[in-house]
Amino acid sequence: MECMPGTDEPDYSADEARWSLLMASAQAGNEADYRQLLTELSDMVSRYLMSRLGGYDFTDDCAQEILIAVHEARHTYDPRRKFRPWLFAIIRHKSIDAIRRQQARKENEARHALDSDTGRANANLDESVTSGQLINALSPRHREAIKLTKILGFTTAEAAARLAISESAMKVRVHRAIASLRKLMEAEAL
Amino acid sequence: MTKPGSLIDQLAGDLQPVKPVARRLGAGALLWLGLSAIYVMLATALMGPLRPGAFDQLLAHPRFLLECSLGVLALVILAQAAFRSAVPGGLSRRWVFIAAGLTLAWLLNYPFGLISPALEPSMLGKRPHCYLETLILALPPAMAAVYWQHRLFPLRPLQSAAAAGLAAGMIPALYMQVACMYAPGHILMWHILPGALVAILTPLALLGVFWCKQQPTG
Repeated sequence: MECMPGTDEPDYSADEARWSLLMASAQAGNEADYRQLLTELSDMVSRYLMSRLGGYDFTDDCAQEILIAVHEARHTYDPRRKFRPWLFAIIRHKSIDAIRRQQARKENEARHALDSDTGRANANLDESVTSGQLINALSPRHREAIKLTKILGFTTAEAAARLAISESAMKVRVHRAIASLRKLMEAEAL
Repeated sequence: MTKPGSLIDQLAGDLQPVKPVARRLGAGALLWLGLSAIYVMLATALMGPLRPGAFDQLLAHPRFLLECSLGVLALVILAQAAFRSAVPGGLSRRWVFIAAGLTLAWLLNYPFGLISPALEPSMLGKRPHCYLETLILALPPAMAAVYWQHRLFPLRPLQSAAAAGLAAGMIPALYMQVACMYAPGHILMWHILPGALVAILTPLALLGVFWCKQQPTG
């Protein structure tokens, strides 16, 4: 079992009651409260993604997708319940979704940018990637699989060749790494 | 992507008052279950007679009553779980365990019934197409549940649809306890199995809808 790194982040639970009130007010149509809520959530989500997944281009997009999802799902929040489980269910889902999509995007880019292959092939994995806590909390094999395919942008075949394993074994490893990430996020959010 | 500030402006500008639906989720699930049960009972009665003396058996045989009561309880929890799954963070692991445990406790009655049945197995009341009735009767409630789920915010729509399909499939499967012949082997094969099949058909139907929506129009 991978161990979680120690967290020295601010305690978001202190904000929970305020966010819950702001969301209840937003549900009633109060634009100012809603703007304040989204601003606070935007900062929190960006910091969360940066610290947990690392500072990559897709985390910015992911943060915005999370805000849009919060907007679209606002009618499903029950003000009698805690805000965090509701919010983190969305964050978790959108983050995993973004990581999954990242590989498809990178594979697509790889087909169109053969010139960059040499640079990528020579990249030292640990030096070139500064990951977030959650990715660092994965086992070395899972971390390697995620970094190669989702962050450095190797195709599954390239990553498999680099690790000297079969392509199907690489796919399984990536799938398990994502499942581990999801579990880590669930454990953290509860 | 737009800058966070301008996105927030857009979203705040787009704000409309909404009713928090999650407050009424439990009641909504029960309403869906109640309406679906009434529909299944009416449609079953229209398609053919119920097993003679089935309701008297409920009173005369406590184990049969327990078996049916467990089924009703499992259905209530399954319906709640199906609707909760369409709300972010609404379906906790505890809910999943309770729903799975109760459904399993209900369904295990039938394999156990192969050794020691709650009622004397009999062909009395056999419906010629009970499997087809179970399957077809479950589809409208399943579709209604999926439609309702999509008015919420299902993060995993296919899993939510499967849960809705299972809940919907088990309604006619349970009602066949009194509408069709009683024999545990027959129940497992021709009532429960088609009911469970709806849990697979519903996400497949949803996939079909997604696929159709992605096709370019015109």
